[in-house]
Amino acid sequence: MKSQVLPKGLYCENFNDQQTAMCLGIPMQIVEIDGYNARCTSKGVMREVSLFMLQDEPIAVDDFVMVHVGYALQKMTEQEARSTWELLDEMLAYDPDMQGT
Amino acid sequence: MMLTAKDWLEKIRALPLVRRVRIMNVCGGHERSITMAGLRGALPQNVELIPGPGCPVCVCPEEDVYHAIQLALHARVILVAFGDMLRVPVNVPKTEPRSLEQAKASGADIRPISSPQEAVRIARENPGRQVVFFVAGFETTTAPVAAMLLEGIPDNLFLLLSCRLTWPAVAMLLDSGKPGFDALIAPGHVATVMGPEEWAFVVEQHAIPAAVAGFAPVSLLAAIYSVLRQLLEDECFLDNCYPEVVRPGGNRSAQAQLVQAMRVTDANWRGIGIIPASGFALASRFERHDARKHFGGFEVEGRKRVGEMPAGCDCARVVLGKIYPNECKLFGTACTPRTPIGPCMVSDEGACRIWRASGVKVPSATA
Repeated sequence: MKSQVLPKGLYCENFNDQQTAMCLGIPMQIVEIDGYNARCTSKGVMREVSLFMLQDEPIAVDDFVMVHVGYALQKMTEQEARSTWELLDEMLAYDPDMQGT
Repeated sequence: MMLTAKDWLEKIRALPLVRRVRIMNVCGGHERSITMAGLRGALPQNVELIPGPGCPVCVCPEEDVYHAIQLALHARVILVAFGDMLRVPVNVPKTEPRSLEQAKASGADIRPISSPQEAVRIARENPGRQVVFFVAGFETTTAPVAAMLLEGIPDNLFLLLSCRLTWPAVAMLLDSGKPGFDALIAPGHVATVMGPEEWAFVVEQHAIPAAVAGFAPVSLLAAIYSVLRQLLEDECFLDNCYPEVVRPGGNRSAQAQLVQAMRVTDANWRGIGIIPASGFALASRFERHDARKHFGGFEVEGRKRVGEMPAGCDCARVVLGKIYPNECKLFGTACTPRTPIGPCMVSDEGACRIWRASGVKVPSATA
């Protein structure tokens, strides 16, 4: 797959740093894998993500995963990741009150 | 061809609905998408979308929040928790800290975190301190906590668990004989982890239409269309409208990890009471990390309104979907996101907070 520069969005900073256990989840793309730990990116923001819950799945760099509280819950396609990113952008644009503190 | 949200709305509007249909969701993320996308206003008038028990912070026992506050104040631990737990008020005299946030302001070492891995990091960085991870969550949060335990945690990390399973609350509502809904939207990421099959009982035992949905309006509308169609055709099945991440059987590694690290136990839900086999406790191999066993209790005899919602607060009925948030007389008046009284106004997954943030300002005229 061609590597792409993803536009930087608001939500990643906000959703990741908002420190809630909300079930929404954030799609992220894997950049680097070291054992069960991965470095993942979502619109230019890097995070450490655990792949421990996906240990029986074949996982590779460039794959997209749904991340919740720092853990990848499931693999997803790039298209699915992009449509979820759009949704998160819309939600933050709509609701400034929810944009962390 | 992929249908858009607009296409689904048109399909819903074309359905020959004659009677009122109440569709419950049990996920704060769903409620947030429904409210923010304005789905209620876009759907036919006789389709009602009801927020149900979908907020783990809202149902976290008041006693557990009180316990966490006392541990932070008196046991000199570092207390870590997801951010929205910090503002949940408990029932104490005005002279005492009413929330973890207030305890922090009065000097307790309380740190908001966004991942179980941060709890591990903080414990490793502070080997001379005891660290308590206070965690309320459904399966989507409990499974990562199980993964954290199995990966190995330091001896100085303890857990104050208030984790719950989602489906038993729905089973309890259905078994009550007055569930208050005609169809169910099942939670997308719970089903991602646990498998959609967990929700088959709704269809098979109660003949209530059900569909698993994701968080985009298009997925929610597909699920709404599915359950309405099931009702009209009088043929129920469990639909999956979030196949992107919800696979048959769910995430089996995560389920195996939950079984290894946790056991299922009867559990108290704030405002609801004990629901059988609806909570998680640490498996015996991790019992030495159980904060309840290690530190013991701090409950004061005679504390007023132990375990209850605050006076005048209708969160208990909001959580069960018996009333809408703006039917509580405190909604938007005494109780706001900045000055929350009940837990449903605190959490980002609480229906009251979601409704208020979306612009519902005051109690409804019919309340």
